[in-house]
Amino acid sequence: MTGQTVVPALSGTQEAILAAYTELIEELGSDDVSYRVIARRAGIAERTVFRNYPTRVDLLLATAAWIEATLFAREESHSIFDLPLAIREAMQRYDARPELAHVVAETAMRGVNGAAPSPGRAQLERLLDAEVPSLDAARRRAVIAALSHLDSVGTWVTFRREFGMDRRDIADAAAWAAEAVLDGIRDRVTPA
Amino acid sequence: MEEPVDTATAILASAAVLLRERTFDDISYRALADEVGISERTIYRQYPTRAHLLAALSNWIEQTYFPLPPFVTVSDFCAAVHERFRAFDASPAYAYVGARASAISPTIDIEPAYITRAIEAMLDVAAPTLNRRDRRRVAASLRYFSSAMFWARLRTGFDLDAGEICDAFDHAVGTVLARLPAATWAQP
Repeated sequence: MTGQTVVPALSGTQEAILAAYTELIEELGSDDVSYRVIARRAGIAERTVFRNYPTRVDLLLATAAWIEATLFAREESHSIFDLPLAIREAMQRYDARPELAHVVAETAMRGVNGAAPSPGRAQLERLLDAEVPSLDAARRRAVIAALSHLDSVGTWVTFRREFGMDRRDIADAAAWAAEAVLDGIRDRVTPA
Repeated sequence: MEEPVDTATAILASAAVLLRERTFDDISYRALADEVGISERTIYRQYPTRAHLLAALSNWIEQTYFPLPPFVTVSDFCAAVHERFRAFDASPAYAYVGARASAISPTIDIEPAYITRAIEAMLDVAAPTLNRRDRRRVAASLRYFSSAMFWARLRTGFDLDAGEICDAFDHAVGTVLARLPAATWAQP
């Protein structure tokens, strides 16, 4: 899967906390949810939440990674040239869960340790290197950076907010831009 | 602060001062109130949630530290974005606030950013016969590659500096514009 996020193995308790917080974000927004409410929803003691996630930032980072890996998980792409399809589907998934999409987008932009703005990078590099190994380092980096940027929830947020696009338009424009990035390397595939 | 300003702006200016030594998450309303010399309640009245504060702070920082150079042509646009990315690199804490604020669920009815309108106006002039759908796809792509989010992602996720980010931006813009037939572009 393209958006594969490396999520450390979670305990059952941690998974219950993250799932409870995710539900509450959709009901109340991310700002107004206290640890006490999360604990009650997860059916555990408040101090258990604190022991697992000492700060709100810890909790948000873990929750965003969990959402990316579960609710926003994608089909695995077998070729870099399939990426526009995965992007199209991802945009539709974000559109169905707008509150969560904003939380994941914001968390990735914190510029702190643990924020993962490009979780799918390694996967993109693997696909590109397998199919188009001849790119020089700068070109390779530019292609990966552009695709990684487009294959993210930031695309959905920006296209919606700045251009008022709806679900179909966002999916179309994001996939179109990814095709544009791929245009330059379309015919440079190493024969199998 | 040199000039006496209204309370809302004084709060933002003080928040920007605090951002030099800690992250936005570590700026409590309590600390902010002490810095401005007002009560915590006054801050809550101006900015009922941290999301409100973040959005307002980002706007203020943008106007104060990252004014967008005007552009009409595509090459002016690229030059303006380069200048911004270099300014972001010089004040990363401020730029991250902008990237983050552009990702949050809007707290108020927001207008599209100035740069969005400027990109649309540029395309109106540069590609007057381009159909509406392609125009929007191009505008949205250019907008997204010129964003603080792009800078933040490449800095944090790829460890790139401003020069390398500008190169990646130029490459992305080139691929997007190359999708359109050459005849699209108005002759100067």
